[in-house]
Amino acid sequence: MTGVIFDIKEMAVHDGPGIRTTVFFKGCPLRCRWCHNPEGLSALPQIFYKKVRCIGCGSCQVACDHPECALLGRCIHACPENCLEAVGREVDAATLAGELLASAEVMGGLFGGFTFSGGEPLQQSDFILELAPRLRPHHLCAETSGYASGDVFARLLDVLDFVIFDLKLAEPAAHRMYTGVDNAPILANLQTLKASGKPHLIRTPLVPEITDTEENLAAIGALAGESEWEKLPFNALYGAKYEMLGMAPSEIK
Amino acid sequence: MSTPLLDYIASGKHRAYRRVCSLDLAAEFAALKLSPIERMVRRLERMLAAEMPVILEDEQICFMRTLKNLPDCFTEEEWKDIRAEYDIHELGYLSNLSPNYSRGISRGLLDLRNEADEYGARAIDAILDLTDRYREKAIELGRTDIAEVLARVPRYGASTFREALQSFRILHFALWYEGNYHITVGRFDRYMYPYLKADLEAGILTEESALALIEDFFISFNKDSDLYPGVQQGDNGQSMMLGGVDENGCDCFNLLSSLCLKASRNNMMIDPKINLRVSASTPAERFTEATELTKAGLGFPQYSNDDVVIPALISLGYAPEDAANYTVAACWEFIIPHVGADVANIAALSYPAALDRALHRDLAGCESYEDFFACVLREIGAEAERICSRIKKLWFVPSPFMNVLMDCNIYEGGKYNNFGIHGTGIATAADSLAVIKRYVFEERSIGKAELLEAVDDNFEHAPEMLHKLRYESPKLGNNDDYVDSIAAALLEGFADSLEGKRNCRGGIFRAGTGSAMYYLWHANEIGASPDGRRRGEPFGTNFSVSLFAKVKGPVSVIASMTKPNFSRAINGGPLTLEFHSSLFADEGSTEKVGVLVKRFIELGGHQLQLNAVSLDKLLDAQKHPENYRQLVVRIWGWSAYFVELDREYQDHVIARQVYSI
Repeated sequence: MTGVIFDIKEMAVHDGPGIRTTVFFKGCPLRCRWCHNPEGLSALPQIFYKKVRCIGCGSCQVACDHPECALLGRCIHACPENCLEAVGREVDAATLAGELLASAEVMGGLFGGFTFSGGEPLQQSDFILELAPRLRPHHLCAETSGYASGDVFARLLDVLDFVIFDLKLAEPAAHRMYTGVDNAPILANLQTLKASGKPHLIRTPLVPEITDTEENLAAIGALAGESEWEKLPFNALYGAKYEMLGMAPSEIK
Repeated sequence: MSTPLLDYIASGKHRAYRRVCSLDLAAEFAALKLSPIERMVRRLERMLAAEMPVILEDEQICFMRTLKNLPDCFTEEEWKDIRAEYDIHELGYLSNLSPNYSRGISRGLLDLRNEADEYGARAIDAILDLTDRYREKAIELGRTDIAEVLARVPRYGASTFREALQSFRILHFALWYEGNYHITVGRFDRYMYPYLKADLEAGILTEESALALIEDFFISFNKDSDLYPGVQQGDNGQSMMLGGVDENGCDCFNLLSSLCLKASRNNMMIDPKINLRVSASTPAERFTEATELTKAGLGFPQYSNDDVVIPALISLGYAPEDAANYTVAACWEFIIPHVGADVANIAALSYPAALDRALHRDLAGCESYEDFFACVLREIGAEAERICSRIKKLWFVPSPFMNVLMDCNIYEGGKYNNFGIHGTGIATAADSLAVIKRYVFEERSIGKAELLEAVDDNFEHAPEMLHKLRYESPKLGNNDDYVDSIAAALLEGFADSLEGKRNCRGGIFRAGTGSAMYYLWHANEIGASPDGRRRGEPFGTNFSVSLFAKVKGPVSVIASMTKPNFSRAINGGPLTLEFHSSLFADEGSTEKVGVLVKRFIELGGHQLQLNAVSLDKLLDAQKHPENYRQLVVRIWGWSAYFVELDREYQDHVIARQVYSI
């Protein structure tokens, strides 16, 4: 089967132990207001338009038969400034595994492993279940919001060595308001993760006045319990990519 | 860590002591028809006599210049005659040597005077005379500590670490005043460690007081450096080598090496330039320790790989014990301390220019890619021949004090007299060849004439072709054998072109991977190139990927750049990687950058230099230079204060590939 990914990042140093290669899966059920990876939201390939680089030359207004250009009505392979870029590509497990293993081979015994990030990797769990055995014996990690059915989560957990579990808001209403979804499945999966004994890390993005409130951090602290818990400083540039996708940050509300 | 002395020197307040030297020595010497060597020693005597001793508050290591300029020894007219008769390299004075400071420090100048020629002896007398005046000044100021040190060194051998450092400072000061430039520090942790060790054992110093002393000593490299000649501020060649093996293969890294890494990080100054010799057997912790310095943003250390460099130097004809003792010249050229007189930067060969000539002359008639590549190699060979035959009668102004501190007769040359040639724009050429191979000969999707026309037209009327060549064709740095093998073949071809050639001093020619400032100069000598590079766009520095190439990341880059065989192309020139400073945010990630370096070394890379940069800061610094006086960036083989650079060098730093998290 195939999956849709939007990036492969070498030397990801904040995505688990050692020097890792992270693959970003496209598509996410959450709509966090502070999301800084909007290209991971839609499950479909999209076009990135880097407006600041556009010199208005009109070269893109040329007839072409590239399927990826069809929805845009402009050719993305004609821009001399590379302002238009396809974000997301469909790839089969064998091809993706081949690409990923090449970076592992370069690092030899010093390679840390692979991390599945996104978007939300749980959204493409069947694909990951097919991909994971092809990446063995390397260390495998997922960075997830935990939003999936208990069944899906448990099956994926089975093929992983390490989980980075994003825990944003403890209070259900606030979670619905700021991420668009209920946190009940997330909290249930957190219990599954903790009970599994699998090494993991809980992560909370510190969004001013939303997630970094005293009450929320206290509640998440309680949920985290004995688990390792990391608070991530907020990425103030979160809005920069929206315009490139022709989206407004407000669209994700 | 800021100290009053550090702030004082960093802000340039010490420059208030400077005066202009109005002596017209060249005219005077010309009128007297003095010999070159007489002029050199007489100038040194006059300048040192005109110096005014200044001892700054809080400093432990003294000596700084108070005369702004060093008048030339020859008139312009005389230089014309000299240049008509001889080949003159750069300024005509000796440069890029690694003198034997150790001998001067351990034996003292009075002892060396016994072996010196009359000119060397006069130079020594002049140095000791200025030292005595400094000592009187110290007494006058109540600085008995300094007076005691100057009573011993450099006249006699140093008996403590502090004396050894002060002695070094005076020797270095005098070598620059003699008119030599780009004088390197050499394997400092090797020759200085015995003094430190003895003082620690005797309880004269603690690790903490030793570090403070080293920091003070490191500051001294920045007192006069703005007066030194160079292409840009910072290009002054005060390179220090740490670590590495000795002639028996034993690791030399010691406590002093660690303290030097720390002192550089604490001072945050661009001199001395820190280099570190490592190998596959270097412990992982040392890479982490060194990465702490990378994180500071100075562009230090620059790594070189003993596993690659030493055997390569031996295969070029260097004696094993000399190869094991290698250091770097001003930037990254591998040279031998004390006995080597290699001119490691005599010229540069442009790969893209060779390709450009073949493109215009030969492509139309080529039946296959192999035919075309053979034409490129022929052009590389022709250029190498031009470079090698151009220098027939090399002459340097004789430097008697440098001669005192070299273990060879430097007037005549050294044990090694090889010439190094840089190789510029390897990525531009390899990427261009990959385009020609794939689209012209394999896919046949671009016609020969069509490509030539687009290149000559700077792609003005071929936006689609430009897009394809620039953004969708194979690029060096992606661990793709298709193009990586072309780069390796170019390097091999360059080495072949120099094989068997002898220079006018009896040495060989060494192929290198550096670019020096030619990444701008050579790029302007040709128009656009088939890799989609537009006219006027610079090449990458040294052994780097193209500025606009889309690369997968640093792991693929090190894979690509360690594939070539460096054993025949070992003049030096590093792969440079720029990382966003946020990558170093936590301790864990610093260790991981160290792991990447270790892997580069294991894979057989020869030289590596990493930078921590923040693009936002660089862009803001262009707008508000007054807020960024201390912002440091790496240029090609040296670090500089960003705001002191010319715009074109600033822009190049901004345009480089930056890897973030």
